[in-house]
Parts: sequence; structure tokens; C-alpha cells
Amino acid sequence: MRGVALEKVIKRFGPTVVIPEMSLSIEESEFVVIVGPSGCGKSTTLRMIAGLEDVSKGKIRIGGKDVTWLPPKQRDIAMVFQSYALYPHMDVAGNMSFALRLAGKPKAEIEERVRRAAEMLELTDYLARKPKDLSGGQRQRVAMGRSIVRDAYCFLFDEPLSNLDAKLRSSMRTELAILHKKLDRTMIYVTHDQIEAMTMADRIVIMDKGIIQQVGTPRDVYNSPRNTFVAGFIGSPSMNFLDGELRGEDAVAVKGDGFELPLAPELAKRAKKTRGKKVVAGLRPEHFAVEASRAGSSESTYAKIRLDVSVAEYIGSSQFLAAKIGDAHVTAAVEAGPASEPMSSGNYLFDTSRVYLFDRESGNAI
Amino acid sequence: MKLKNLAQGFAGIAAFAAACAVGGSALANPYEKYADTTIVVSWPALAHFQAAETLVEEFTEETGIEVEIDALQYLKLRDRQILEMSKPTGDYDVVSWVVMWKGEYVSKGLLTPLSQFFTSGSLVDPEFDIDDIADAYLQNGGVVGGKKGYMPGKSGALYGLPFGAETSILAYRKDILEEQGIEPPTTYDELRSVMMQLGEAGIPAMTSRGKTGHQVTAAWLLHLAPLGGKIFDDQWNPTINSPEAVEAAQVLREIAQTGPTGIQTFGFGEAAAAFLQGDAALYLDTLKIAAMSRNAKLSKIDGMVGYGLHPVGSRCGSETGGFAVGIPANSKNQQAAFLFLQYITSKAGDQRMVELGGDPVRISTLMNNAGNFDEYPVVAEQLPCADPDWRPLIPEWNELNVDVLGQALTEVITTDKPIQPIMDAANEKAREIMEREGYYTWAKYRGN
Amino acid sequence: MPLSDSTDGEQDDSGRPGFNIRSLNPYLFIFPAVLVMAGGLVYPVIDAFYLSFFDWKIGMPFDTAPFVGLSHFKRMIMDADVWESIWVTIRFGFWTILIEMVLGISLALLLEKPIRGASVFRTIFILPLMVSPVVVGLIWRYLFDARIGWINYYIGKIGIEPQVWLGDAELAFFAIVFTDIWQWTPFIFIIVIAGLQALPREVLEASKIDGANWWQHILLVKLPMIKSIILIALLMRLIDVFRALEVMYILTGGGPGRATELLSLHIYNRAFDTQQLGYASAISVLLILLVFGLSFAILVFTDPLKEKSDI
Repeated sequence: MRGVALEKVIKRFGPTVVIPEMSLSIEESEFVVIVGPSGCGKSTTLRMIAGLEDVSKGKIRIGGKDVTWLPPKQRDIAMVFQSYALYPHMDVAGNMSFALRLAGKPKAEIEERVRRAAEMLELTDYLARKPKDLSGGQRQRVAMGRSIVRDAYCFLFDEPLSNLDAKLRSSMRTELAILHKKLDRTMIYVTHDQIEAMTMADRIVIMDKGIIQQVGTPRDVYNSPRNTFVAGFIGSPSMNFLDGELRGEDAVAVKGDGFELPLAPELAKRAKKTRGKKVVAGLRPEHFAVEASRAGSSESTYAKIRLDVSVAEYIGSSQFLAAKIGDAHVTAAVEAGPASEPMSSGNYLFDTSRVYLFDRESGNAI
Repeated sequence: MKLKNLAQGFAGIAAFAAACAVGGSALANPYEKYADTTIVVSWPALAHFQAAETLVEEFTEETGIEVEIDALQYLKLRDRQILEMSKPTGDYDVVSWVVMWKGEYVSKGLLTPLSQFFTSGSLVDPEFDIDDIADAYLQNGGVVGGKKGYMPGKSGALYGLPFGAETSILAYRKDILEEQGIEPPTTYDELRSVMMQLGEAGIPAMTSRGKTGHQVTAAWLLHLAPLGGKIFDDQWNPTINSPEAVEAAQVLREIAQTGPTGIQTFGFGEAAAAFLQGDAALYLDTLKIAAMSRNAKLSKIDGMVGYGLHPVGSRCGSETGGFAVGIPANSKNQQAAFLFLQYITSKAGDQRMVELGGDPVRISTLMNNAGNFDEYPVVAEQLPCADPDWRPLIPEWNELNVDVLGQALTEVITTDKPIQPIMDAANEKAREIMEREGYYTWAKYRGN
Repeated sequence: MPLSDSTDGEQDDSGRPGFNIRSLNPYLFIFPAVLVMAGGLVYPVIDAFYLSFFDWKIGMPFDTAPFVGLSHFKRMIMDADVWESIWVTIRFGFWTILIEMVLGISLALLLEKPIRGASVFRTIFILPLMVSPVVVGLIWRYLFDARIGWINYYIGKIGIEPQVWLGDAELAFFAIVFTDIWQWTPFIFIIVIAGLQALPREVLEASKIDGANWWQHILLVKLPMIKSIILIALLMRLIDVFRALEVMYILTGGGPGRATELLSLHIYNRAFDTQQLGYASAISVLLILLVFGLSFAILVFTDPLKEKSDI
């Protein structure tokens, strides 16, 4: 099989187990983003793929070849680091061509490849500059350029955008996505930022405590989170969790402190099969709505829910409400017209077709 | 401090005794007039002078003259003395100098000629007997202004009395020479053949100083005078490439070749240590080696050492050196100071110094104690032919000593190069220095 | 795609017009230090320069010392002994610095990784640096002693004749070079290892991923990145070579002959052994100029302090 594969990989640092056991396969040309909170083992995973860390057990394949015990340079990879990791004593051209020079490529070829990469990244005017004379964004592009000229089989990115400011970060995200299309190479990208993951990935790998929680397309992980961790991690602001109980034999509704929401038939059918009645209801903030705006709809799936609003933040397209349902704190994001007043406590609507249910004990999705 | 208190105590008693004694007569003793005077003595913190502290206490007890001793490290002594003696009134009443400094002190007018005291009947002890003091010591340490300024001669005058003076003798390991069936050498020819014999037997022969600079020069000078050489002729022309000087260098090379390993790095201490620790059969340098060899802390060879005269070459000529004592021109207590000098160098004082572990300066003392110290008869016999001109005492000597001879002689003992060219080059260098310093202006003046 | 984003916060905002009284503050604060420097450094240098115009033999009152103008300098230029000392100093500097650099850097590269026992070795290794030069001189004088020294004792055990280490021109030169290396290699080691440990890890990893082998990794990445540190160490050692005195003074006193008489020791011997203070001052002026010129050249050509901001 081509692509990149981790087979039953275990990583320990002394007595500490960082990755209990992980298997993951990545298709050729796929853009996979590994996301998770800090300390979840995502960087370690990437460094094992790069060969900067040894695996304690298991196998790693790149392009079908077992590279588990090969040094980085024999793995046909390129890597972009969080700190850019440029060679301070070399100019931009020198940085970009370093790997090619080490590989003993002909001078003309090196020049050509550096020129092309520089054009692609609009670095042509800066080739003779030292890294210290570049801005943060330019340095980031040099780091990219250094990988691009390699034309490696697999590109590894270790939080490459986290040192950039917000505006630059979003534009670099776009650049990266375009780059992936142009190069058509396997890319593995590590980040703690779920927005980066959602915007760029073909598939997202969500990790926590060294364990893969879910692998799927952005759509999958957003719409069908496998457990409360994934549900809470993906989406911004993150999902509200409310303890509740299933009502009736057919599980037609979920009821908790201060709310009772009917369940969509599909969900009710699945919920009926579960043994316990104790569940967690997951409500995404963006699925709340102002009562008035949906009132007229005939085939309404909206149900009333009372919010005790303590703060309303106006962010333009909507208002973020910090509120309470019963005693539980929740966040709601409701669309707001241009002239809307700060919203206050009262009855709001929630789209019952978008209710998630999780087993309260295991946290797994129902 | 302790000493000072003690001295004051004694002084009090002495003053009281003197007061009782005065009664009706004019002067009960020659010291009475100066009782309660305090004189300050500047001398080095060396063994001989430390031994003399007891003698100083006895002096105060006997005379009522209080003495404060300012004992300084040898290297700091000269600067301090010059400073005090250059003031209108200085702190010092008695100073002790290394013979090398005497010319400078006198030329700067810092010392009082002793003649003005020797003319005073009330001060001079009729039993002092200056002729009993070894002439070489007296001339070398005390007379200034004779030939070349530092030698005996009619233009000279007496400025100091020797105290803590020394000369060179030969010390040898009786046991080793006996075992090898070798007689102690008395001439340089014998010395050279003894060294050869010992060398062939695998026994390190003679130890010597040999470190670059004044140490190696000192070693060579020991042999220069007996072999008939001099640094300068009477017109200040350097003669360090003369056959005699070259022969002395040849002897030094032979010493280095047959002696203990490392002579090229030995200073005075290392050279002595090699002998004292049994790594050399012969030692030719200061008589102080005798006291050191009896000191169990330093020596492994106590009782095995015999003494002989400095071997004779074309003439008999040992080195003399050490200290002399005199009176600064700016002292306010010159008479009391003279009484002090007279006391410590008198026959009784000299004998007392021997008992206290110091070095005598009188022939009679040496002879009287010959039974107790093996080296004394040898020293007494050695002194008459000690050479006060074994090296010149001129300001330029430092440069000649260290930069010229110290370098050339190192080449002699660390290489196999022919000696004559080395000494020729050194002689030329020496001439340049003398030229630079204006020593040939008289000759040129005459020549023109 | 934004090309020249203006978020570069590293540009300074100097060039602002107008005079600010507070800009005097830094000078006020460094004034005492400048005063101490002037008293302790500048004055002696000026004094040495002044003395070099007089023929002052130590111990004579200074007012009797004749003014001799530039004659000391003329004499110096013709003085073979001075040139010999300079030549000894150059040879000494060349060998010690070359070997200390190679050894110090190599050891730093080898012991940089936290392998077992490395920290113990590192501690032992830097001990010579903490020993005062006088003690270093005494220790090695004993070790090299021809009669009672350990070195002769041990080479005797393996059947080599005892050598007069400090009494033979070549051996003595070897001895002072060896002692200097013993004492100062740890200095290079410490500085270089500190530099190596401060290197950003990711850059080193980048070089591994870029395919650098062990040699390329060291020669093309690690060493160039600590170039400024190495240059500063080099500069300090170079100046030290001209300053070095105590160890040689005790070990050999410059001998045998002038085989180990570095320029500084030559000046010392001239001033205090042969007591020509004026002439010695003139040679020390030459020494000052040499050190100054050397330091200046290195600073200008390499500018280590500026390069440092790279990292």
C-alpha cells in the first residue's frame, strides 16, 4: 500500500506511555490534519513519522516502504517546523537549496528548483537575504520553500502557523491548501487549532491522551462526532453538554433540568436501543435561534427552550449568549439582524433535528 | 611585638640599674649615656637575622638601649630602606644591606662613614679588634669607593661591618667518595676528573644552579675567578670571551653533563635540594649548605658531608657575599647605632651568633669553634683568598648578568655548540651595553 | 496572497527627531564604571607610554632618570631579543590556540549529548580552569621536574630516559604549550558547549531531515551557527596569549635561554630582572599596540557581536 501507515505503534518515554497503541493509514496525496489539545501525542506521532523519534514498538511505512528504523534523510520526507527552523547563517536561497546541495544535485537543477519554488511562494526578491532580515510570514514561506524544493514524497507540518498573527494565519491556510493542490503530495499536518484542521484537511485525525478518537472528513467529525471529546473539540464555540434522561419507551424526547427536547425519529430509534436512560444531550451553539425568526415555519423542527442570559456579545453576524439552562452554563450563537438589541433572557428555539446524544457513562455517541 | 615588650622590660630594669649605679661618679659604663634611647634596625627576615634577635635582647639588657627590629622580606628590603634613608629624617638607625647595594647607597649619600665613630675614644671598645674580622668580608661588605668603586683601595672608606656574610666552599659526600676511592678535589683539574669518574660510575657528580638568567651566571662566576677570569679588564672592556672565561663555561658544561638531571632548571633551592636529598656527590656554593645539611627537615645526608676549600685553578678565589650593617646618614641616634653594630660584631657577639645558629664573621670565632663545626676550619682557611671582585657591582651588571651572560651560559649548558663563539657573541653584546652607558668616554677622549 | 506583510515588529523605531533629556540617563549610569576603567586601565597605559621616554633604572629616583625621547623605540626595533620574544609568542599562540580550539570544540561536540558519565567528566574537565595560574605553574613545574617529577618517573617505567623538560629549548616550549592546553582547553570547551546547547533544536532537526550526515551536520550547520561564539573565544585566547605570564614565569622563567620567553615575560624580565623600567615600558607600548591592533582587526573583520543576533 502506498501512502503513509502507522501499524500498532507504541511510544514510551522512560516509564511514561505517550502513545499506547496507534494504527493509522494515510492515502497517497491525502492532506491529513492531526488535531488535539497540547500533550495529546500529535507532535510525537509526527516526529516518529519524520524519524526524529524512535518508535518503542510497531512499524511505520512511507510509500509502502518500512522506514521504522531508517534515519530521517532516507524517508523521503520534508518537514516544516513551528519555529521555521531556518539556518541563520544561510540566505534564503541557501536555506532552500541546502537539502539539494547535500544530495549532490547538479547546480543548474538546484537553481531551477529554487527559482520555481521561490516563484510559487513569491520569494524571488528575497533570495539573497538572511532569515533575520525577513518578516515572520516571509520566514514561514522560506520554510515551506525549503520543503517544496525537496519534492519529497511526504510533507510534514508541525504547527507551522502558530507563530503568525491571526490575519496572516488565515491567508497562509489558503496558500497551503493551494499548495497541496499544486504539488499533489501526501501531507501530514499537526495543529491544536481545529479551524486549521477543518479548513485544510481531507481527513482529520482527532487525538486525545495518545489515542485516536476519530478519523474522518471535516464533515464527518463535525456532524457525526463519535464521542463527547470529538464533539466538544470540533466546532466553535464548542458544543454545550447537558445531562438529561430519555423519556418514554420510544425515547421520544430528552428531558433535563430546565429543558425538554423532542428527538428526531432517526435518533430516537437509536436511542431506544440503549440500555440506560441517562444520557448527555449535545447542543451546538449555532443551532439556537430567536423565537420570532422561525415562528412562521410550517414544518418546524424547532422546540422552545428557555435561556437565562447573563451576557450577550455582539459579533456582527450573530450574538454570543452566555446563558444558563436550569443550572447548566451554555453558550448560544443566534443570528441577529443589523439593528438588533442585546438579547436578554426568555424563550429561544432549538433545532431538534440537530440534537446529539451521548451515553453518559462512556461518552460515546448514541 | 613580644620581643619589643620584652626589650622594653629589660630596658626598664637596665635603666633602674644604671640609675642606681650612677651615684656620684661620671660614667659607670660606656652605654649609660644612651640608655633609654630607642634605635630602629632594618634587616631581612632570614635565618641568620632571626637567630640574632636573642642577641639583640641581650644587648638591650646589658646596655639599656632599646632596639626595635623591622624585619622585612629580603626582596622588599632595598626599596624600603632607600625610601627611609632619602627622607630628611628617617626611621632607621641601622640598616643591613646585601653587598651589591653598597655602591648605590653610598653614591646617593645615604650612609654615614664609620670613621667618624672609630675616632671617638668613648665609643670604640679597645677590644673590638677589627683586624680579626675576615678581611674579605669587611672589604666586600663594608668598604666603598676603592678601585672600581666597590673594591678595596686607598680611595675607599668604611661604611659598614659584615654581619650575615658568607663565602663559597666545597661540600662533598664522604661516603660516596670513599666508596669510589676518590680523594676530595683541591684543584679544578682534579674536580673535572672527579666529575668524570663519578659520571662514568653512574653517580650524579656536582649539583649546580643552571636556570636561565642570574642563576646560571652565578654558577659560572663561581668558577671564573679561580680559573683566573674576570668580567672586565681595568678599562671596562668586557673579557667574557677570554680563555679563562671560556674554560669556566666549559667546566659549567661538564658539571651539567655529569651532575644530577635537570641542572638546566635549577635555581639556588633546587641545586641545594639535589645535594641535600642525596642526588649529587658534590656541592660548590655558599657555606650555608653546612647548616642546611645538619637540618633534618631539609637533609637526608647529615653526618655524611665533608668540606674542602673551593678548588683552585690558576689562583685561589672563592666568592664572598651576604650582608653588612651600617648607619644611615639621616639617623638621629648614630652613636647608639654604632654601639649596637660594635656589640653584635664584637668577639663576644660573634661567638654568641654561633651559639644561636648564625654565621660568624671573625677568624678567631671560626677557629675557636672548629671542633664543633666541620666547615669552620675550612671557612677560616678559605676567607683569606676570597675574591671581592668576582663580579662587578655596577648598575649595568643586572643587564649583563641576566640578558647577556644568563642567555649565553644557558646556550652553553643546553647545547653542544662550541663555546668560544657563544662567549664571543656575549662579549660583543656586553661591549654594546657599556658603550651605550658611556663607559668608554674616557678612552675615546684619550684616543682623540 | 499578501507579500510584504507589515507585521514585522523587529524594526526599531529610531530616527525619531528631537532631543530627550532622558537619553542622558544611560551615560549617567555607566559613568562610575567608566571612571574605574579609566583609573585601572587607561591610566597605567598612559603611564607606561610616558615612562617609555625615560631611561629609568628601577630603584633610582625618577627625577634622576634622563629623558631619552624615542631612543628606546629605536633600540627596540634593532633588538633581536625583542623580536625573538615576539616570534616565541607567535609560535606559542599558534600552537596553543590551534590545538585548544580543535580539542575544545571536538570535546564539546562529543560530550554535548547527555550520555552517562558526561556530566562527571565535564566537571572534572573544567577543574584546570578554576586553578589559579600560579598554582598551575607550580603543579606543572613539579610534574615536569627532571629530578623528582612524575613525568620522568612514569616515562622511566616504560623505559624512556629522563628528560630535562624545562631545561631544553624544544622540550620546554612543548611543556609550556602543553600546560597552556591543559589549562585553557576547558575554556573553549565550556564556551562552545554552552553555545551548542543553546542552539535551537528544530534547526538541527531540520538539517537531519534535509539529509545532512554527521560531518555535514557539524561542519555546515552546528559550527557555522556558533561561529560568533567561537570567534569570541578565539579573540579572548589571542589576547590571553599576549597577557600570559604567571604560568611561564613559574614554569620556566622564560628559559632555557629565551625559548619560552613570551613577550609579556620578556617585558617583565626587562623591567624587574634587568631593572630597565623605561625600556620595558617602551616594549610594553609595542605589546599594547599589538593586542589592540589584533583585537580591532578581529572585531572589524568578523564582527562577532553583531552576528550573534542571528540566532
